[in-house]
Amino acid sequence: MPEPLVARSPLRAHVAPPASPAGEPGVVLREIPDLTLASVAALKGREAELTQAVSSAYGVDLPDGPKRVSSGAVSFVGVGPGKWLAASTVGTDFSGLPAAVADQSDGRAVFRLSGPKARETLATLVQIDLHPRAFQRGDAAVTHAASIAVTLWQVGDEPTYEIVMFRTYAATLWRWLVEAGRSRGIDARLGG
Amino acid sequence: MSQSNRLAAGGLIDRASTIGFTFDGRRYAGHSGDTLASALLANGVKLVGRSFKYHRPRGVLTAGSEEPNALVELRSGARREPNAKATVAELYDGLEATSQNRWPSLAFDVMAVNQLAAPIFVAGFYYKTFMWPAKFWEKLYEPMIRRAAGLGRLSGEADPDSYEKITAHCDVLVIGSGPAGLAAALAAGRSGARVILAEEDFALGGRLNSDRRTIGDKASSAWAADAAAELESLPEVTVLRRTPVVGVYDDGVYAALERVSDHMREPAAHQPRQRLWRIVAKRTVLAAGALERPIPFGGNDTPGVMLASAVRTYLNRFGVAPGKRAVVYANNDDAAATIADLAAAGCEIAAVIDARGDAPALHAAARAAGASLIFGGAIARAYGGRSLKGCEIVDGRGRGFKVECDLIAVSAGWNPSIQLTTHLSARPVWDDRLAAFLPGARPVGMEVAGAAGGAYGLGEALAAGAKAGAEAAEACGFAAGAVDIPATDPEPGDTHGRGPWRSPVKRGKAFVDFQNDVTVSDVELAAREGFKSVEHLKRYTTLGMATDQGRTSNVLGLALMAEITGRSIPETGITAARAPFTPVAIGALGGAHRHKEFRPTRLPPSHFWAEEQGAAFTETGQWMRAAYFPRPGEKDWFETAVREVNTVRTAVGVYDASTLGKIDIQGADAGVFLDRVYINAFSSLAVGKARYGLMLREDGVAMDDGTTTRLGETHYYMTTTTANAGGVMRHLELCKQWLWPELDVHFSSVTDQWAQYAIAGPRSRDVVAALVDEGFDVSNEALPYMGAKELTVCGGVKARLFRLSFSGELAYELAVPARYGDAMIRAIIKAGEPFGICPYGAEALAIMRIEKGHAAGPELNGNTTAADLGMGKMLSKKKDFIGRTLSGREAFQDPERPSLVGFRPVDRSARLRSGAHFVPRGETPSAANDQGYMTSTAYSPSNGHWIGLGFLARGPERMGEIVRAYDPVRGGDIEVEVVSPVFVDPEGARLRA
Amino acid sequence: MRIACPFCGPRGVDEFAYLGDATVKRPNADAPDALPAFVEYVYLRDNPAGLHRELWQHALGCQSWLVVTRNVRTHVIDQVEAARDVAAARLSEAE
Repeated sequence: MPEPLVARSPLRAHVAPPASPAGEPGVVLREIPDLTLASVAALKGREAELTQAVSSAYGVDLPDGPKRVSSGAVSFVGVGPGKWLAASTVGTDFSGLPAAVADQSDGRAVFRLSGPKARETLATLVQIDLHPRAFQRGDAAVTHAASIAVTLWQVGDEPTYEIVMFRTYAATLWRWLVEAGRSRGIDARLGG
Repeated sequence: MSQSNRLAAGGLIDRASTIGFTFDGRRYAGHSGDTLASALLANGVKLVGRSFKYHRPRGVLTAGSEEPNALVELRSGARREPNAKATVAELYDGLEATSQNRWPSLAFDVMAVNQLAAPIFVAGFYYKTFMWPAKFWEKLYEPMIRRAAGLGRLSGEADPDSYEKITAHCDVLVIGSGPAGLAAALAAGRSGARVILAEEDFALGGRLNSDRRTIGDKASSAWAADAAAELESLPEVTVLRRTPVVGVYDDGVYAALERVSDHMREPAAHQPRQRLWRIVAKRTVLAAGALERPIPFGGNDTPGVMLASAVRTYLNRFGVAPGKRAVVYANNDDAAATIADLAAAGCEIAAVIDARGDAPALHAAARAAGASLIFGGAIARAYGGRSLKGCEIVDGRGRGFKVECDLIAVSAGWNPSIQLTTHLSARPVWDDRLAAFLPGARPVGMEVAGAAGGAYGLGEALAAGAKAGAEAAEACGFAAGAVDIPATDPEPGDTHGRGPWRSPVKRGKAFVDFQNDVTVSDVELAAREGFKSVEHLKRYTTLGMATDQGRTSNVLGLALMAEITGRSIPETGITAARAPFTPVAIGALGGAHRHKEFRPTRLPPSHFWAEEQGAAFTETGQWMRAAYFPRPGEKDWFETAVREVNTVRTAVGVYDASTLGKIDIQGADAGVFLDRVYINAFSSLAVGKARYGLMLREDGVAMDDGTTTRLGETHYYMTTTTANAGGVMRHLELCKQWLWPELDVHFSSVTDQWAQYAIAGPRSRDVVAALVDEGFDVSNEALPYMGAKELTVCGGVKARLFRLSFSGELAYELAVPARYGDAMIRAIIKAGEPFGICPYGAEALAIMRIEKGHAAGPELNGNTTAADLGMGKMLSKKKDFIGRTLSGREAFQDPERPSLVGFRPVDRSARLRSGAHFVPRGETPSAANDQGYMTSTAYSPSNGHWIGLGFLARGPERMGEIVRAYDPVRGGDIEVEVVSPVFVDPEGARLRA
Repeated sequence: MRIACPFCGPRGVDEFAYLGDATVKRPNADAPDALPAFVEYVYLRDNPAGLHRELWQHALGCQSWLVVTRNVRTHVIDQVEAARDVAAARLSEAE
């Protein structure tokens, strides 16, 4: 009988180097491991059924724009017309929803970027307007970080962002964030 | 280290801080707040460079980024930067500057003999002098010209510094921080709008710092300092100093280059040298000011000839007297201020020449300064060589006399800096009253204020800026209050400079474009030879084409051509600018994305394990793929790949196939949809089965291929080639959203979700059986060829197991969630050890797919049809699909069309090369005899000789025929035999075993 | 250039992939003149100097295909519609 398989992060120090600031960190980068993610698409003619199902199962009103709505451990992020990214911190199984559901828990990696310099650090890679007048907690965007497709949203006013990317790009985006963050006092550590 | 020309008091420099710098190895001192140019002038250094073509001695003409003469190399070693403008370079302690384009020294330049040979360097000399004999061009003329004419030298070393790109959004972008810009920024900033103020200088204020003007009860420079302080205090205002806006793009997008560390010896830790800003602005106020024009006269490039406004800048901002005894030569009243400021600084004014005739303002200024005034006169010639000694003046009645002087201040009116209004191809308009081009149509959202819009007066510039700033903020939804603009002191008079455009006396070289050494005579020559339109003038003489983009020369050249040809200036042409406004280093455009970080690198799930194995990697698009896994003693990739192929064919191997595109497809109409995008049917595929599919473009040419598995009634799993994954996804979305919106079908990219390993070889079933959990049957009966199962492996990890084979052997593809990918490859290797498993890479895979005759990139090359690929029979006749109709067009039905067959060398020891063309035996190689081409070749370990795939006219009918594989590029010309493209196990018995 | 994606809002042009003419309609493959109709559909294009309707995809965004009405002389964009909506309207018209 083979040994049980161990789950591993797409990041290793030699491709995703840690960084620590000289003084107080201006921006903090961490990987958020173990999020359950699923892409959810409304089936033709069954949109209302999906809205109802999500509402009754999770207490979430599906957003119809680029927004993130959460309730407890579960959240839904609008990523396109009739398309959402469902996320859970408690291993929720979304496959029973009346929708086209595809597990993305391994397909994506998620970073959290926070701190007073987080917005400016992100602005070196992401071109959308993240100023608080334009983008706040609950707002989400599907865009790119210097050509790497990302979905991001704001979770705190510090500000704190969560950034989702395809898993195989995680090491590159980590390096780019660390590089952009060096002059801004980045604290980046692997493994939480 | 004396600063002999530094005034005793005044200026905006910090006299408390004295800093040292070197120029051509000599040590000098300056103050913080100086530019290199002001510090050199303070030290009495007038000769700064040699000109491009004639190597004439040159000094400082201007005090800004329009400088054509004072170009130097800054720093040394890897940080050496050529063609830096001394008038922009901010002084820092330890600055090293070197003059350029001179040999052996600045004072004595051998190449200055070029001016004796001036007849061959006239306009168009490239086209005339060096035409014959043609073969001399490369070996003699071009190297000679390159050595003789030139600018600075690159360091030739890698740039040690970093660059950054950043995006900023704002309500109002204000470009320029002179009176109009500051007023605009204050008006918009006070309203609460998000404002970015971009200023190319290191100090805010523009001419407020250069002129001794009064705003309310304050000196203009003090007013600017107060405005700057207030702007800095507003939370939504961003002030960018040292940041020229260099480009205007559609929909309010601007590029600006922040010179973050150019004013330091080297950047501070982790700081970039430069930062390229992408600014997205709802509204823009262009307040870029205006630049003074020179008047050409003989020897007008002698060091010591300077724009009158620049003289004021050196006097008032830098506390430097650029000369002790000055001549002022003007065709407008603006020079009155220069006369007054020179006199106030204690400089002697030898003569004031008003080219127009009597004008009261200049008259009064000259009288006040005790200078003699010459009406309607001109400078015939300046002399002095490396340093101005005097000039010959001709008065209004034609009498000539010499005047000794070490400074000539020239003023011929102003050119509004309208370049940024023309980047989107709007044309400027000529204004006769101002004798200047003014902005025509503006880019959407841009307003022009102050001197850039022709409002030269201080009071009107302030008012225009405040109005434009307030309106811009209001357009963005902010209530902008009135900005109180205090009264200003009286304006100097008529500053418009409507000519004369040049000295009427022709004596010596009178330069129009200093940087490219274009003279008045060159313009005349161009006119004589018929190059009369401004576009021809520019290209023939190179006027305006140097790094200064003709800031001081374009309008002048145009005016001269108009005068020579008797036309008006707008009839002669209009000058419009393109980005960038000032030169931008390539490094800044690349930002942080250079070397390995030029683009993202995608690491497949087995990457870290493969690194541990010492794999050699190859890049496929953004992916890093293991190419082969060398073992000790193997001498090259070839030996390794052959060993890997043999292991797969006789035992078992494992390959990371995760880079294939993987698309999850769901929906009630998923099957119908797939029928329409593939040439073959998928709605009829049984659940738990996979099928090879070929996709065409609508023009009937093959686009991509792969296998698609039906996981459930309404659920499919598609794979695409590694290279085309993104393109196929885009295509599917187009088909769904645009062609067939009525279908219920949904796609999700799961490329990164699954780590997918190909386990191939006669012992692969043993390996797979050792990995799957109890209760799952992987026997040939339970999981036949092209079958698929969802199951668990290694104690409960969910997995998908496919019976697919690219190698032609009994083979499986095992997919597990990517987080287990690293552990899975280790588990496969461990489980396979008893069966002799080895990992194999892209090289071995490429050999095996050629051995099996599978089409890949070289065959799916954008020219080939399904029939060409031998898949004509797969084309469904029962349904429409993308590409079906045009597959049937005449040219694609031509029986002479080359189609896919295999080849082997008649001489079995010969090597085949892809790219060779097929010619019938005994025929001459020619386009007419060309019957196709070789696409893929490999040494086949299984056959013991080279094999090839290629497209040959009527190929399948010609089995056994010998043709020539003709490869003139690499000197190849061998005979090959036409064979089946399947070189291994043609019956497919192995993969069904 | 910036394109206002109906779902995501205005974004820089580098997020979008251009395809081409949105005025051509895929012909009926079963019609007797299908071959010439497809030749026209695939190859023959008007080249208007002015307003044009073009297909773009918000490729580095929500993946929506868009019909962008753009003045190709000035780059001024008059209208951006979701291609699925335009296609659905065309479908219901046809019915």
